[in-house]
Amino acid sequence: MPPDNGHFLAAAYTVAGCIYLGYTVSLLLRARKAKR
Amino acid sequence: MGRALRLALVIAAKDIRLELRSRTSLLSASVFAALVLIVFNFARDPTAVATVDLAPSVLWVTVSFAAVVAMNRAFTVERENAAFDGLLLAPVDREILYLGKFLANLAFVLVVEAIALPLFVLFFNIDLGGALPGLLITLLLATAGFVAVGTVFSAMVVRTRFAELMLPILLLPFMVPPLIFAVKISVLLLAGRPLSEVAEGLRFLAIYDVVFVTLSVLLFSAVVDE
Amino acid sequence: MTADLASARRVMIRGAVLTVLGLLGVGLVMVLALAYTPEEINQGLAQKIFYIHAPSAWAAMLSVVLTGLASMLYLWLHDPRIDRFAASSAEVGSIFCGVVLTTGPIWGKPIWGTWWTWDGRLTLTLFLFFLLLGYHTLRAAIREPFERGRFSAVLGIMGMVLVPFIHLSVYLWRGLHPMPIVLKPSAPSLDPQMLRTLLISFGVMTLLYVGFVTLRYGIQLAHDAREAADAS
Repeated sequence: MPPDNGHFLAAAYTVAGCIYLGYTVSLLLRARKAKR
Repeated sequence: MGRALRLALVIAAKDIRLELRSRTSLLSASVFAALVLIVFNFARDPTAVATVDLAPSVLWVTVSFAAVVAMNRAFTVERENAAFDGLLLAPVDREILYLGKFLANLAFVLVVEAIALPLFVLFFNIDLGGALPGLLITLLLATAGFVAVGTVFSAMVVRTRFAELMLPILLLPFMVPPLIFAVKISVLLLAGRPLSEVAEGLRFLAIYDVVFVTLSVLLFSAVVDE
Repeated sequence: MTADLASARRVMIRGAVLTVLGLLGVGLVMVLALAYTPEEINQGLAQKIFYIHAPSAWAAMLSVVLTGLASMLYLWLHDPRIDRFAASSAEVGSIFCGVVLTTGPIWGKPIWGTWWTWDGRLTLTLFLFFLLLGYHTLRAAIREPFERGRFSAVLGIMGMVLVPFIHLSVYLWRGLHPMPIVLKPSAPSLDPQMLRTLLISFGVMTLLYVGFVTLRYGIQLAHDAREAADAS
């Protein structure tokens, strides 16, 4: 019976996703400012 | 080859003479080392942690901090007097200039360590026994590693605004491999292990030094020349 | 090579497209990990963090190595494009390091019982992160572009040479990190679904690296173009 640690998985994927998404958004915002 | 070395020693001697006259760098680094040792001594619970277990870490924390303080001061003095620009105008090979600075910084830090080591033995009641030669070699090799890279970085940050803060930030990752080995070696030596057991670790420190002194010599002109 | 705003815009658009594709890829990997790969008997669901954690570590490593190589090239060629690339690669590397250093402990807690273990790969990534932090701090502190490029390059080369030393010294210490089971010469000890998902993830992270760096490069190019235009 595997241990019940799915919430760690959820946390990790959420954190990773937020970092990647957050960086993308920040880059896109900087790109918009630079284009002007 | 002999002429280059002599030139480097002249440059080093100038720095050392300058420092001996003002003594600020030496004094601040030594006081700092003593402070760290005293604080650690009072901070630990003698019944809980044996001195011998804690000692190597304390020694190397002290040495690392003192090295950074000493290197910072060394270049700050240059900056304050715009002496460095004068030095650059002289027709000296950049490699020799680096060696001179490296030797001077090495001498500073070694002197601070020479002051800190007896204090360390005193405050922590360490029985050095046969460990002294090994410890001295380790101190020399590890210090050379810090100073090799630190000399280049000092030259880079000397004109920036937060130079004293920047040097430790840049230097930290580069101090890690020598520190890891130096601490491990010290632990073994202070536990009474023979020199032969730490030979491999010492070899690693030596290789690190050779690689980074060579690299620094090659890269120094990129830093000081426009 | 003078920067111009029009080509900067093109680069930024290309970068944005690649980045979005990369992000979709990351989403795909997560879906595959959740729905397609089997659950590991002993480690449970938390093992699946690996599909994001390990390829991110690869991308972080890639970033640092490429920054180092670019640094060497810059000292030789003095081309501002190379410096722009090195700075972009370093910034992106920090992001991947961030992901590794956050997912690592979240993986470590259920699997090894502690948040942090001073094991080989995680510690190496920590010091890569410090190296990159130093790199950014240095760049921020120097105004003049040529000096900034030179100094960053020196730090970049030193950092690249440092990496194997950190690797060696940390591994010669102790390690809790799982033995690399993918690259065994005979047969990988992973189920085919696990292996396939992992390989896809490596590809996705590489794509994401390229996307991020392209976009970041484009932004820098636009800045430099603007500065050149203002100066003239």
